[in-house]
Amino acid sequence: MLRTALILAALPLAALPLAAQDSAALYSSAIRPLFEQNCTGCHGNGLVLSKLDMRTRDGLLKGGARGPALVPGQSASSLLIKMVDGSGPLQMPPGDASKRLPADAVAAIRRWIDSGAAFPAPTAASTVTDKWATYKEEDLWAFRPRKHAWDSSLSVDSFLPPAPSADRRTLIRRVTFDLTGLPPTPEEVTAFLNDKSPNAWPRLIDRLLASPRYGERWGRHWLDVVRYADSSGYSNDFERPNAWRYRDYVIRSFNADKPYDQFIREQIAGDELDATNPEFLIATGFLRAGPWEHTAMSVEAVTRQLFLDDVTHSTASTFLGLTLGCARCHDHKFDPLPTRDYYRFQAIFATTEFARPQVPFLPSENTAGMEAGRAHMKEVIAETQRQLARFDMKRKDVDPEKYEEFKLFQKHFQLHKESADRFEPKAFSVSSGPRDGETDGGPTLKYPKPSDYKPPRVHVLPGGNIQSPADEVEPGVLSLVERYANFPAPAIPTTVAGRRLALANWIADPRNPLTARVMVNRIWQHHFGQGLAADPSNFGKMGKKPTNPLLLDWLASYFIDTKWSVKAVHRAILLSKAYQSASLAPRRLEAEELRDSILAISGELSPSTGGPGTFPQINDDVARQPRHAMGSLQPLYRPSARKADRNRRSIYSFQQRSLIDPMIEVFNGPTLDLSCERRESSTIPTQAFALFNAQFVHDMALAMAHRLHQSERTPEARIERAFQLAFNRAPTAEELRAVLAHLNAMTARHAAEAAPARQQPKRVVHTITSELTGERFQFTHPDDPAEFEHNLHPSAAPPEVRALADVTLTLLNSNEFVYVY
Amino acid sequence: MSINGTTRRDLLLRSFLSPAMGLGSVALRALLTQDAARAGVLAAKQPHLPAKAKHCIFLLMEGGPSHIDTFDPKPKLAELHMTKFQKERNKFEANMNTGERYYVKSPFTFRRAGKLGIEINTRFEQFADVVDDVCFYRGLKAESVNHPTALYHLNTGTQFGGDPAVGAWTSYGLGTENENLPAFVVLPDVAYPQGGAANWSSGYLPPHYQGTPLRPEGAPILDMAPPPGMSSERQRANLDLLNKLNTLHRARHPEHADLAARMESYELAFRMQAEMPAVVDLNREPQATREMYGIGSPDKEVDAIGRRCLLARRLVQSGVRFVQVIVMGWDSHDYIEKAHGSRITAIDRPIAALLKDLKRTGLLDETLVVFSGEFGRSPDNGIRRGGEAWGRDHNANAMTVWLAGGGAPRGAIIGATDETGGSAVETVHPLRDFHVTLLHLLGLDDNKLRYLHAGREKQLSQTGGELIKQLVS
Repeated sequence: MLRTALILAALPLAALPLAAQDSAALYSSAIRPLFEQNCTGCHGNGLVLSKLDMRTRDGLLKGGARGPALVPGQSASSLLIKMVDGSGPLQMPPGDASKRLPADAVAAIRRWIDSGAAFPAPTAASTVTDKWATYKEEDLWAFRPRKHAWDSSLSVDSFLPPAPSADRRTLIRRVTFDLTGLPPTPEEVTAFLNDKSPNAWPRLIDRLLASPRYGERWGRHWLDVVRYADSSGYSNDFERPNAWRYRDYVIRSFNADKPYDQFIREQIAGDELDATNPEFLIATGFLRAGPWEHTAMSVEAVTRQLFLDDVTHSTASTFLGLTLGCARCHDHKFDPLPTRDYYRFQAIFATTEFARPQVPFLPSENTAGMEAGRAHMKEVIAETQRQLARFDMKRKDVDPEKYEEFKLFQKHFQLHKESADRFEPKAFSVSSGPRDGETDGGPTLKYPKPSDYKPPRVHVLPGGNIQSPADEVEPGVLSLVERYANFPAPAIPTTVAGRRLALANWIADPRNPLTARVMVNRIWQHHFGQGLAADPSNFGKMGKKPTNPLLLDWLASYFIDTKWSVKAVHRAILLSKAYQSASLAPRRLEAEELRDSILAISGELSPSTGGPGTFPQINDDVARQPRHAMGSLQPLYRPSARKADRNRRSIYSFQQRSLIDPMIEVFNGPTLDLSCERRESSTIPTQAFALFNAQFVHDMALAMAHRLHQSERTPEARIERAFQLAFNRAPTAEELRAVLAHLNAMTARHAAEAAPARQQPKRVVHTITSELTGERFQFTHPDDPAEFEHNLHPSAAPPEVRALADVTLTLLNSNEFVYVY
Repeated sequence: MSINGTTRRDLLLRSFLSPAMGLGSVALRALLTQDAARAGVLAAKQPHLPAKAKHCIFLLMEGGPSHIDTFDPKPKLAELHMTKFQKERNKFEANMNTGERYYVKSPFTFRRAGKLGIEINTRFEQFADVVDDVCFYRGLKAESVNHPTALYHLNTGTQFGGDPAVGAWTSYGLGTENENLPAFVVLPDVAYPQGGAANWSSGYLPPHYQGTPLRPEGAPILDMAPPPGMSSERQRANLDLLNKLNTLHRARHPEHADLAARMESYELAFRMQAEMPAVVDLNREPQATREMYGIGSPDKEVDAIGRRCLLARRLVQSGVRFVQVIVMGWDSHDYIEKAHGSRITAIDRPIAALLKDLKRTGLLDETLVVFSGEFGRSPDNGIRRGGEAWGRDHNANAMTVWLAGGGAPRGAIIGATDETGGSAVETVHPLRDFHVTLLHLLGLDDNKLRYLHAGREKQLSQTGGELIKQLVS
């Protein structure tokens, strides 16, 4: 054949060398499933025909009545191959030719035999035993009991060299950003500078910790770690219409200084603590925070396993700082985390199912916009239905392009209906036992009915392969803790309910060596830019060792002694000379701090808090960009019609996995799919485009200029006030001169040229290629029924205000605004 | 930020970059570049291996093109056409692929092309001229039959989203030859693919390596142009005031190198703003070249894909390291003759022109061109609209990808599928091996191209893979 002639250097498959661990992996991934589907029914499981047991390597080597089934390394002389490739005395599996194994299966068996016919090492399923005792003590620091108790005669400064203090103006800016994510107002700065009492600094800290803005800032850090989003990701990226209640729960918890051990219990096992407590049910949204999708193209068993793996990884990394995911396929390479422990830990979640119960709104939840939101969504859905009514799809001879258009509206109908649930009192939650039938959109999983529900059995899955389960395991916690911290492992119930609660209690126990250390290290990191241990979600061997282990342990002990008060840890850190040091390196504002600060100093920041996510103004090209949903297009991104909704703090922005605000993304915002333990702060040129050219920043600069123009009478006073807002200080004489000259020059220029008129928003028409015909067709997105409240436009501003906006735009781009010292 | 004191870069910048010394921006850049090489940002870097390919153009065919109807003909299907069979429901198989199934013959005819007589769909009229430069690979297997997960897998090495794309890894490994342009550029179709921008993410790598989508109309890069009404003179004046304020600020904080780097990034942005319009301006190409790519064709799809292909060549020529061209719409579950037929017509001229043009300009030797979908398609189909609307479903067990230029074999078919095209049976490799091979052709060793993230060494293939030696000439 021509093809064969052209295979230039094709090696016979068997000649390709395969390492021993790859041989074992090949067994787990391909050979074992093959044997199980075709062979072990008669040769191993119950029946041992011809005395051949194919379940173990020994069984294959020993062979059956006709001799050894295989010779490792020599497929050509292995009986097994002769039986399956048709060259031997018998054909296996027996029957007509159609029962024969396909050529690729035979090739795979050959390849496996030639590579040594390895089975996964039995140690892959061990607990931490003496085999593991070879770990170096220095790599076990996080698993050992704390080396320093809390001692009131010591403070953070007892562990660190003395440092000269920064000036008070720097300090109030630093601590206000750190605790609230916003700049102090000029008035707050003046009050602090004038407060000469020795308690001025602690009082400032208390004021900031009591501010509702605190929870919005620190809640964001937590949401980064858990990968919070308002949508499910992947193909359809369905909305999670009730997820916002978890976001608000996190903010409330930080504001209320909820004891951290309770915060853990609620998120891991709120439903098992008290299924009648709305707060607790909302809290379990943590367990479902990762991306998830099930479609007609998904395999149900795989979808389920992906969820179990996800919740196993995220629970271990969030609360324990462990990379347990590495033990999914094989024993952890670096840490005492055997694969058996991975699956025992996973078995805790084996009875956890998705739930979307009715959970009444709490008085603390923002339901103010619900009626309007419901009415708006009703109108959007009605419009989609009107569009759908245009098509008659019952006829057989449907025009494929019409069908495509119809499909688009159908998809939008499905997506909008899901979104309408935002305003319903339901919780994005879990329950133990059979699911309540609710999914995240898409096909429903065929879960067992409540009457015949039994806890699923969990097996070790060598290679992570669900098709080749090994030993069955019972739920359990990580054996390294008992071994290295002498904290006896609790029994995890094997009943349907109570598994997660037992886990939560074990994590939240003061004797657990990891929990308090991991959390105080996260807090430290957000105050100093780097944790005492620099890899906050990896306290294993490969994570960086703590630079000051005694301080970390002292703080962790303090955390526990204060009944797990996060705010107490803040105070201990913020009152230190180390935090007040003049030599702290500056940090670039995080993406949300930057956006929120721009809104704050321009006077546009909306005070509203909580409730369903709203839609900020984003780059218009991105908003109008057609984006695929499975077999269709997503509806348009529409910024919220009211300014009060658009201009809320970024934490209240709707977080869609497939559409991240490019302004947030470019300033190192998190991807929403992976846990983000620390924000990077790279400097790239596209950030300059986002801050210097984006319509949003121009609009805010103009709003700021407009307010300055109204509130101050002279150009000098306006510039002075702008500096106070942006930098919390007055301009120097040189700066004032330079800015004034610029302002005058720009005023003259603006006076000479009129601002362009506001462009009327156009209907969005997308030209799309049909998947049915490959031809192009047009799709017109229906208009948003809501009336849009516009930002101030340059055409409505006098030349002096437009010129002042050139100044404010420049200030918003300056290093002094973007860095905090 | 760091509280660990001073880096080498701080010292360099502190000693040399005080504004009073008046160091020019070229020298500044040279310093930053030296430092960048150490710190791993965009400057050009030495490859790990000697390699021909310095650039990559990745033609991503979204939706899963059918190998059976393009480059891997299966005459056996003509015999089996409309033969019914039952595929058992199985807990490890997606619903879509089970139940009552029918074999479906290809509605297309095939012809032998090139000196080697490689069989391709007859509708590849222009592409037939270049098959002798192409290495077809029929042994690749994907793992997922779900578009977004399969796309993530092809583009980023895992099925989950959030990991760095192949283009990001390549840029991380090789840097760029032109600092004024992004190292990794994406030329999307009208709509973004399923999974969105995560398909060209830099993941945990620094964002310098993120794919920058260039827009076909308006400002090619988001916000590269200011809002209407902002003249370039006014913008320059604002920038001068910004420099003035930043310089005064920096004088108060001489110890912080980040401040200078951020000032420089504004200058770089505006050099990019100046250079980019010329790079993307296809009118600078001779009319004959434009026509060769199909620009101006009455078929709007040919015109649009032609523009992306020509732009890809111009970007590579300007020093961009990795260009991904996306063509959507290969998900032909129904009416495959119409649906695939129009896709083939749409890509035929532009892609053939790209290969011819790269060869003509001598760029083909140093540019690896890759053509791939996220999976192949099945020889069989569920019954559609009374059996008339034949199409094909998803198939992770077989597909055809091809390579051209940049050290790939010329005129070859590697690997094979079984007689119906259902499964790859010769020179079979998983995607991770393909990734290892792509990096290898670009001079990068997957096992050395690692990045320490959260205390773990990460790499494109995740846990290492095998080089597909047959794909390296």
